[in-house]
Amino acid sequence: MKKRTVGMVVGAALLSMCFGVTSYADDAYRVAYIARAQEDSFAAWLADEMRAAFEEYDDMTLDVFDGQANDEKENSIIENCIANDYDAIIVQANNGEAQLPYIQQIVDAGIPCITTNPRVECEGTGSVDADPYEQAKVNCDLALEQIPENAKVVVLLGPAGNFHSNERRAAWQAEFFDKRPDVEIVGEDIANWNKDEAMTLMEDWVQANEHIDAIISMNDNMCAGALEVVKDDPAYEGVLAYGVDGTAEACLLIQEGRMTSTGLQSAIDLAQMNTDYVHKVLTGEMEVTDVRDDVPAPLITADNVEEYIEMYKENGQIK
Amino acid sequence: MKNSKLGHVLEKYSIYIILVGMFLLCSVLNPNFLSSRNIVNIARQLTVGIILAYGEMLLVIAGLIDLSVGSVLALAGCLSIYSYYSTGSILVAMLVAIAVGVACNLVNAVLVTHFGVPAFIATLAMQMAARGAALYSTNGQNLLQLGDYVKVGQGSIGVIPIPVIFMVVISVIIWYIVNHTRYGRSLYAIGGNEAAAVASGINVKRSKYITYILNGILAGIAGVIFMSRVNAGLPNGAVGYEMEGLTAAIVGGTSFSGGVGTTMGTLAGAFIIGFLNNIMNLNGVDSYIQQMVKGLIIAVAVVFDIRSKNRKTRKIILVENSEKKEAK
Amino acid sequence: MEGVEKVSEIKIQLSGINKSFPGVKALDNVNFSVRKGTVHCLCGENGAGKSTLMKIINGLYKPDTGQILIDGKAVEIRDPIQAREYGIAMIAQELNYVPEMSIEENIFLGRLPVNKFGKVDWKTVRSETIRFLEQEGLPYKPDQKLKTLTVSDIQMLEIIKAISYNAQIVIMDEPTSAITNREVEILFEKIEELKKRGVSIIYISHKMEEVFRIADDITVLRDGTVVDSMPAAQLTLDKVIALMVGREMTNVYPKEDVPIGEPIFEVEKLNCKGVFKNISFHVRRGEIVGFAGLMGAGRTETMRAIFGLDSYDSGEIRIHGKAVSIRRPSDAIANNLVMLSEDRRRYGIIPIRSVMENASISSLDKFFYGGRAHRKKEQEMVSEYFRRMNVKTPSLETLIQALSGGNQQKVLLAKWMLREPEVLILDEPTRGIDVGAKFEIYRLMTELVKEGKTIIMVSSELPELIGMCDRIYVMNKGIITGCLQKEEFSQETIMRFATGTQNVEVE
Repeated sequence: MKKRTVGMVVGAALLSMCFGVTSYADDAYRVAYIARAQEDSFAAWLADEMRAAFEEYDDMTLDVFDGQANDEKENSIIENCIANDYDAIIVQANNGEAQLPYIQQIVDAGIPCITTNPRVECEGTGSVDADPYEQAKVNCDLALEQIPENAKVVVLLGPAGNFHSNERRAAWQAEFFDKRPDVEIVGEDIANWNKDEAMTLMEDWVQANEHIDAIISMNDNMCAGALEVVKDDPAYEGVLAYGVDGTAEACLLIQEGRMTSTGLQSAIDLAQMNTDYVHKVLTGEMEVTDVRDDVPAPLITADNVEEYIEMYKENGQIK
Repeated sequence: MKNSKLGHVLEKYSIYIILVGMFLLCSVLNPNFLSSRNIVNIARQLTVGIILAYGEMLLVIAGLIDLSVGSVLALAGCLSIYSYYSTGSILVAMLVAIAVGVACNLVNAVLVTHFGVPAFIATLAMQMAARGAALYSTNGQNLLQLGDYVKVGQGSIGVIPIPVIFMVVISVIIWYIVNHTRYGRSLYAIGGNEAAAVASGINVKRSKYITYILNGILAGIAGVIFMSRVNAGLPNGAVGYEMEGLTAAIVGGTSFSGGVGTTMGTLAGAFIIGFLNNIMNLNGVDSYIQQMVKGLIIAVAVVFDIRSKNRKTRKIILVENSEKKEAK
Repeated sequence: MEGVEKVSEIKIQLSGINKSFPGVKALDNVNFSVRKGTVHCLCGENGAGKSTLMKIINGLYKPDTGQILIDGKAVEIRDPIQAREYGIAMIAQELNYVPEMSIEENIFLGRLPVNKFGKVDWKTVRSETIRFLEQEGLPYKPDQKLKTLTVSDIQMLEIIKAISYNAQIVIMDEPTSAITNREVEILFEKIEELKKRGVSIIYISHKMEEVFRIADDITVLRDGTVVDSMPAAQLTLDKVIALMVGREMTNVYPKEDVPIGEPIFEVEKLNCKGVFKNISFHVRRGEIVGFAGLMGAGRTETMRAIFGLDSYDSGEIRIHGKAVSIRRPSDAIANNLVMLSEDRRRYGIIPIRSVMENASISSLDKFFYGGRAHRKKEQEMVSEYFRRMNVKTPSLETLIQALSGGNQQKVLLAKWMLREPEVLILDEPTRGIDVGAKFEIYRLMTELVKEGKTIIMVSSELPELIGMCDRIYVMNKGIITGCLQKEEFSQETIMRFATGTQNVEVE
């Protein structure tokens, strides 16, 4: 009996905590942001920046939901948000195809909807994205000049079937490998965006090959993992390394001269843009269907890395 | 019956024979495999998995399991990095990691032993809770600029990497605990028949607590080695590592039904899988095919193990019968 | 044999049966025939080949050579399903049941009646089950889960199940090993009824008293050969035992008189609500004290509580006159009190571990000290006790599950002897083990009391209680109904107390 009482008290306390958090101003616009996965460090960062950007507005409040990298969950969250009558919904799809019918439901319910990172093509919605192809392409242009003739390179991929990984790899194929048939890929494998998996792969590739000229990675995390393996190896001094995302870690590596370049996918810009557009839509300044924009994908190299280091210092990711 | 002695030896040491066979095969398949650097490499890559495998082994022998170890590792690692940031002491960071690992596992142990929650469910709950705590504490972002913290995972003493030293020392300690303590012996009894262990006067609850605490210590140490090896605090790192640990233990002959398993078998199991991964990476095998091969090898290893064990029991019954006959 | 065959027709005849397993000949030219409407008992020690022979009849094994005739026609029995078609039913020694399923589902397991659409006819199942239960006087509901029943009732159900197949040949392998005397009577009535219907019964039991009560014919097997086969009337108990073990057994119960000392172990007013009430008894040095009663009389429950396996509400346990607190088995063990459980599989052996580990598990403090294991000492001590107990095992590394029941029991006894206890509680120490091993356990008990130890023996076999004990307490429905001195021992008296027809206040 006693146990049950304790359980009920704890349960009640937890419930009240949950409700305590979701208190909203009565007259403000209520916006829902459905994030792909709080476990994904970029998605988590974006969610954080969204919250920060909304702070700037008195007439809008934001509720963030976690899709937990699961289509099923993400879809039911969308349904809940429609039922909850939000004034606008921003969706970061886990898988565009899977969310499409649910995004259509948002449109049908007459709620303005913006899809972001990635863009989901759906009539009646707006979109703000960072183009993964472009993010990789800016690296390719540099790599065309830098990577020596008959070079041996390794390629690190994100999870199988991942949209961003596939788009970035497609950019490398079209913008680099097709133009440089002399370059040989001596290792290409999936490291699931993970630093530790990339390390294991790189360690084995280093054994199997006499020399590797360049690391081509679909994100910075994996690139950093590969660099971790060869950092104290004099034979790999000056190895070229390209990533995507422009994470704090990548900026530090570029600053140290260990990484070559990365295409920035800025969560700050994305969040800013999303917030601006949603505000304009809600205040009637523009139609949601007119929202279609991409954040720029600037190339970060040793020449301009300081300005990004500053940015990260400001938000606390670099001390 | 002539070959029974040889057969017996083959069965008893089947896992080590597979390991040696695997080693020889790999040496033939790729000349780089045998290089000392590659061997050190494999050992370093396997360290975290082996440390976790010992925890799982102890638990599975006792008829328990831990599905939370990957998450607990991440939480312990991240919190230890925070403590390193504020104290600059690797020792403090290590102790914090161990404390976090132990705390999480104490919760597991309380749920399992006092509330009778099946270990599978209790640790599944911990898996979610600990992962959530890791992400919450770091805001989902990787922790960077670890400074000297990375020495634990990347440094070496002479030619031997520090993680490998951890692995060797922990292997010896676990071997000692399993083979030279009352607790170790009780573990097999508990997993073999818990009711009989209780009726034999063994303090089963205490043993289960010790097992989870040991598992927590191992998770904490593994957390520090993992984070320092990758030179970052990854709150979403080590997802699914419980399965790596379990796989090594099971391939190494630990019985999923409890009561059976050895330290050296688990070590061998981990190396079998490690050799397999390494040779496939060295030879550039397509990663989809790698997954298929790994699944196949695990199934084959376990089937082989189960078959050889069944044969063992059967034969002995007959030996007894025939001896009885001779005696009369 | 000749005479036997003429009396009534042969139902099943096996001739020239040979069966080998790699390395051992299990059956050697065995001839065996059962007459219609009779009970044929098969006697022999464990490993004599009884089970192999029964498995051949039941289609589980194929004989290497030999012939099986049913009603004079040569048949080949390929599997148990075919055996069932020939009217053969087997009640296994190890109960086959699904604890999570209901009584009715268990009875009709694998042969649920279905209507023409393939839907299970639960109505028939329910009514048939109720009919069976009422017929057997079992106070259960058909939808009750089997795990809520006692072992003895489950065994009765197994028998009901086999009978419900309308079998012509029923094999019963140790059917009474776990049921009460009252239920044995019911079973024997059932057997008489079956005989009248012309059913042939092959009956395997270690309990010689039973064998002689019901057998029409007896066949004795030893080491895979038939030693003798003749009508029961021409055999005596001693003769059968001698044939089984291959030598004359002088005394089945080797009880010796030893000087009885002071009370060592006393229990006073032990209560556990709904289980047992006001349990008071004492045991003196050198005594073997029996606990008789029907199944469910509360004997095992009382002993479990005393040993710390279950809790009790009130009462006092004194050892050497000093009150001790026993809350878990380790407390009991620390007070030199040990208990051998009635359920060997559940509370005794750790099947997948070696005999040595099973023997040393309660004495780890003797082999693990000073920061390391002392394996050699462990091997020596365990070997020594195995020698004393006459445990037959190929090696110390052998898994205990590979041993016969009798040897397993001896290993478990060795486990407790390693602790050098003062008081031993032996709960059904000879259940399901063969005559030779039983004798050795009796011999050992005698030796132990000679050394000044004290034994409490719970048993459902009255002859062994009468043969081995100095005093017998009788329990019924959770209370002690009587305490009998040696001169008062008789099966009738014990049964009167056990069934509640006679009741005296103890002390």
